[in-house]
Amino acid sequence: MILERRPIPPGAPPEIYGLARMLAAVAGPAEAGDLAGQAAAQAAFARLASPPGASPVARRSARHSRSQRPARGRLTLAAALATVAAGLGSTAAAYAGVLPSPIQHFAHVAIRAPEPLPDIVPPTRMVTSSPTPSHPDHAASGSAGEHSGTSSDPVVSGQANPGQSWNHGRKVGSVPPGLASCPPGQGQDQGHGQDQGQDPAVGRSQNPARPSPAPNPVKSESAQESDGSGQARKTACSESTIPAKAAHAGGQ
Amino acid sequence: MIAGAFEVALASARTGDEAAFASIFRDVQPALLRYLRVITADPEDVAGETWVHVVTGLRRFRGGEQDFRAWLFTIARHRAADAGRWRARRPAAPFDMTEPAQHLTSPDAADEALEAVSTQAAMTLIKSLPPEQAEIIMLRVVAGLDTGDVARIVGKTPGAVRVAAHRGLRRLAGHVAQAGVTL
Repeated sequence: MILERRPIPPGAPPEIYGLARMLAAVAGPAEAGDLAGQAAAQAAFARLASPPGASPVARRSARHSRSQRPARGRLTLAAALATVAAGLGSTAAAYAGVLPSPIQHFAHVAIRAPEPLPDIVPPTRMVTSSPTPSHPDHAASGSAGEHSGTSSDPVVSGQANPGQSWNHGRKVGSVPPGLASCPPGQGQDQGHGQDQGQDPAVGRSQNPARPSPAPNPVKSESAQESDGSGQARKTACSESTIPAKAAHAGGQ
Repeated sequence: MIAGAFEVALASARTGDEAAFASIFRDVQPALLRYLRVITADPEDVAGETWVHVVTGLRRFRGGEQDFRAWLFTIARHRAADAGRWRARRPAAPFDMTEPAQHLTSPDAADEALEAVSTQAAMTLIKSLPPEQAEIIMLRVVAGLDTGDVARIVGKTPGAVRVAAHRGLRRLAGHVAQAGVTL
């Protein structure tokens, strides 16, 4: 009742009247000193509450508070995040052992990352023009076919044209002569026959553009199946053995 | 009170009218200072910070006179709490003479307040109440807020606010009766 500032009913205790007057005095009009901060508040209002664009100072201030402060904070945050990401990435790379050797060594010393691996020398491609192979394994690796066009081997160079399949470019000369002709023996290693190529006659007969001058029925049959792929060449070599036997048997 | 002109002045102040802002300031500043004199030791400083916040957020403010008063006293209460924490971290002064607790424990607070019929005397008497009751009475009487607004400001239920206000008024009435002086 008193708080709602309603009139006090007659017959109320006298202290209620005194309380009502006291509260009215508290909520009374302003006294001296109550408005002391008006000038400062109005100055703040003029500085901060003017509409945007009203004064250049206010516009600059608003732009500064709106854009530069957050931008500075974002820049700092971005730099911190980038630093953390770079550190974590470098650490992970160091523990994975994929850093360059000096850096990996430093990481090994600094953070006990794995030691740098010794450099692995990649296998060199050897192209030999000698008919005798110095490294028979290289012939088996199959990489020599890329260089067959430059081979000075008469067999190889004679078959080197762009339309040839890779088996023509093989280093025929690098294969031991005894293995190159896929002899029809029972104990013949088929792998040798696949990798080592054919004799010159076989090689020529596999090129449809250059039919063999002395067609061998066995070898021409194998040549028909050769489409230039490695699988066809395998077939030619392996099957050339069987018809050869048959021809031999037929001859008998 | 500007009465019906308050909301007009408020709308003008939001558009940057300094005269309208001045009229609002003159209307609410006395109540704000009296409220702050009850709850903080630095009423003038806290009032200045409160107005800075009001000016900063005035453009975004939406509402009428009661909403504005509730908003203003909410800001003032938060700033007073900040000032209290700041003082607690920097105990430069050994003690503060304006602490409400000291007035509460002063045996002559009521007598001093009743020596004269004045606002200051009534303020001193209200300060002798427990802080929560004194704040609620100031918000209800001086700021003119209803129970719901006061409950939101002080973070209590409306029922708790009513109870605290009732107890505070009874205690004040007891002081008046004890003094035997009619204000």
